[in-house]
Amino acid sequence: MKTRTKTVLIIVGFLILAGAATGFYLFNLKAKDLTKVKPDYVITATDLLKAFEEDEVSAAARYVGKTVEVNGEIGAVTQGEDNSLNVALKTGSDFSAVICTVPLGAAAGSPEVGKQVTVRGECSGYLMDVLLKNCVIISQ
Amino acid sequence: MKRSFVLIIFTMLALSVSAQKYMTKNGFISFFSHTPMEDITADNNQVAGIVDISTGELVFQVLIKSFHFERALMEEHFNENYMDSEKFPKSSFKGKITNLASLDLKKPGTYDVVAEGQLTIRDVTKPVTVKGTLEVTATGINTSAKFKIVPEDYNIAIPGVVRDKIAKDLEVTVIMKYSPM
Repeated sequence: MKTRTKTVLIIVGFLILAGAATGFYLFNLKAKDLTKVKPDYVITATDLLKAFEEDEVSAAARYVGKTVEVNGEIGAVTQGEDNSLNVALKTGSDFSAVICTVPLGAAAGSPEVGKQVTVRGECSGYLMDVLLKNCVIISQ
Repeated sequence: MKRSFVLIIFTMLALSVSAQKYMTKNGFISFFSHTPMEDITADNNQVAGIVDISTGELVFQVLIKSFHFERALMEEHFNENYMDSEKFPKSSFKGKITNLASLDLKKPGTYDVVAEGQLTIRDVTKPVTVKGTLEVTATGINTSAKFKIVPEDYNIAIPGVVRDKIAKDLEVTVIMKYSPM
């Protein structure tokens, strides 16, 4: 076999392997660890709720799918069926909060009602509350 | 959609002061797909729901983007390719427990219930009948149910190349722990 053909075969083989490895890596990639991600927005829980209450469409366009860092006081902590934690941040509203789901194994510290915390998460949108998923509690 | 849900809540609130209404914002819905090639699970712990045990009315609503997958790429495909969650951000169920008359929900205990209602996914609404349990506890009401849905019924198009990896019908689990309103 000519040296040139050999070189081409080696390069093609390498490219196929690199493609397969990249595909395998992307396929198995877990959700991002947000402790290491720079937030797109930093906002208080009160202002985040206000943004959705005033204009849900423009607030969704701005925040949904983005990494949002929210500051607020914990109003409630509940455990989910899959052992995640739902940490509700007070907003000044009797009815609505910013609810942050912290998956099992993510940085949660020891969230307690009344503590002032900073939570980073991906904004999913607004039901009765503003919802964040894949959250980490970065300071308390 | 949001306005209609808030309207339903306030209508339910206004109907009767003495009615026995329970609410949660931390309900759980997961779906599970099993094929010989792959098992896929997605969880959502941010389901908002209300049950009125005096009338049997049930309503819940969920954000599609709140579903969490083990793999990031699956979550992305789910939102962008299958559910089109920017265009259809919410799903809901509105229905009624049909065998309420035969139950004595004043007594703590676990009861078999049947709920009939309308399930809306991607703005497609279909009637569903679901069997489940309702538990009366000292602190509230717990309900749980399992049922199956067929993605194609809700205009969810699954490309041929991945069709063998996604079950023809998905098992949906709903677990709600309601507190008094």
